[in-house]
Amino acid sequence: MDHERRHVAPKCRHCRYFRNDAAYLEHSFPGLTGMSSGYGSTRSDDGICVRHDRYLRADASCAEFLSRDLAVVSSPLTAPIPE
Amino acid sequence: MANVSVQQDRIAKAPLRWRELWLKEDWWAIWLGLGIVVVAYAFFAHGGSIRWIAVTPAKWSTWSQLGSHFADNYARYVAQFLVWLAIFTVALTVLGHRARDFVPSFAFLYFLSVAIFAIGQWDKANTYNLEPPLVALVVGMVLSNLIGLPRWLDAGFRVEFYVKTGIVLLGATLPFTLVIWAGPVAILQASIVSIVTFLVIYWVAIALGLDKRPAATLGAGGAVCGVSAAIAIAGAVGAKKEDASIAITVVIIWAIAIIFVLPFAAAYFHLPAGVGGAWIGTSEFADAAGFAAAQTYGDLAGHGAVAGTGDQAIFAYTLIKVVGRDVWIGIWAFVLAIIATTRWERGVPGSNPSAAEVWWRFPKFVIGFVLASLLITAVTSGLSLADYNKIAVPALVGPIKDLRTWAFIFCFLSIGLTTRFGELASAGKRPFIAFSAGAVVNVIVGFLLSAIVFAAHWENLAR
Repeated sequence: MDHERRHVAPKCRHCRYFRNDAAYLEHSFPGLTGMSSGYGSTRSDDGICVRHDRYLRADASCAEFLSRDLAVVSSPLTAPIPE
Repeated sequence: MANVSVQQDRIAKAPLRWRELWLKEDWWAIWLGLGIVVVAYAFFAHGGSIRWIAVTPAKWSTWSQLGSHFADNYARYVAQFLVWLAIFTVALTVLGHRARDFVPSFAFLYFLSVAIFAIGQWDKANTYNLEPPLVALVVGMVLSNLIGLPRWLDAGFRVEFYVKTGIVLLGATLPFTLVIWAGPVAILQASIVSIVTFLVIYWVAIALGLDKRPAATLGAGGAVCGVSAAIAIAGAVGAKKEDASIAITVVIIWAIAIIFVLPFAAAYFHLPAGVGGAWIGTSEFADAAGFAAAQTYGDLAGHGAVAGTGDQAIFAYTLIKVVGRDVWIGIWAFVLAIIATTRWERGVPGSNPSAAEVWWRFPKFVIGFVLASLLITAVTSGLSLADYNKIAVPALVGPIKDLRTWAFIFCFLSIGLTTRFGELASAGKRPFIAFSAGAVVNVIVGFLLSAIVFAAHWENLAR
């Protein structure tokens, strides 16, 4: 198994478990588009951690960081994360 | 399902930073709103006007009058629709939405908006309380909750985008001197109510056994700017996803209720338009909902049901809500993030926030609002009051104001069309009680400050 690993800061924005796409957030929070938006400035680049089921700043971090930037041939670590 | 690219998701994501200029809707509201203002001024400076494109339904009392209006002006409506469609499609496509969904959806929204605008122009509309914002809300909610619409149609119901664009256009109709004169009082009044409301919600939530993070999320939703604030603070403090969802539900329920209750409560107390607008600005939770309430009260003033002018209600609301509350969300997020990181339960993912957070979370559309105000104030500063009313209002400010009204109607209709009560997360008794405690205090303190302490200030706004 070959792994190509690039150094990235261990922050949520680089973590495999972090989702902050605006469309995804609008889908994940029922009612968000009724009086707000996933595309607004006040949201900054916050997103959902599917590992901890929390809504976090992109520059947050934790000990379970897993880089999304791993390019692998095959590995159980790259199985799609259930959403 | 959300249109998310898994492949893109696997690539390390850099902060947006200057890409915000085309990847955040706040900036697109600025580009579109200021673009309209600049084009309007360009026409005005050369002796012309955008009045032709800024068509609105005329006052009517018989069906034949209404029919004649549309028959005589259908080309203007088609042109206006195409202009709105073009600029919104460009903006939303760049933001990542699908044009093939947005185009038919916006056509549906525009057609419905024309009908609602026309209803509001009926000479009996006031008699039956058929204020366009309320009609738009009710029609939207009936369609989305009782009849049901295909989900792809949501592509055109962009509440926040329309209200932000409308606010930028509103800036062009609000003299900058008014912002300077009334801004400090707006900030003082809004700050008092915001802090009191947050503390009431927070401490009642804690007393009921809720955790600090959901308590803060609820508090921000009630104190600052509704759902946007709840989401911003939820992210800043690292709340659980379900707590953010609960806060969204509670804010929406209260915001919808306030739209219908506060304008008529203000009328019951015979509050002048500016005072009523200030009360709504202090006590409504979301910008979009607040504009619906403020526009309703402004319409009541326009029909003579309350003293003052429609603009006084809208201006007072905007100064309190946008200048007094919205702009501070970055500071709230920064401070609460520090508190959460340093003083609350450890073990939750986090890090000390950067002070730059205050800027990145700043609601950028306010910049457009200020710039639009500055621009129009500057270009009309050489006119006497008589010339301003005779020349600038019909040819420059008036058309911009009408386009602003369109943007707000798109917004109000979209609120109703996207509020599906059956899909909201269950609010839970404790969060609802905590938020309600703050909301009640908010309404009372807001009334005291607007109708008593600062009443003369708001009553004389823009006289």
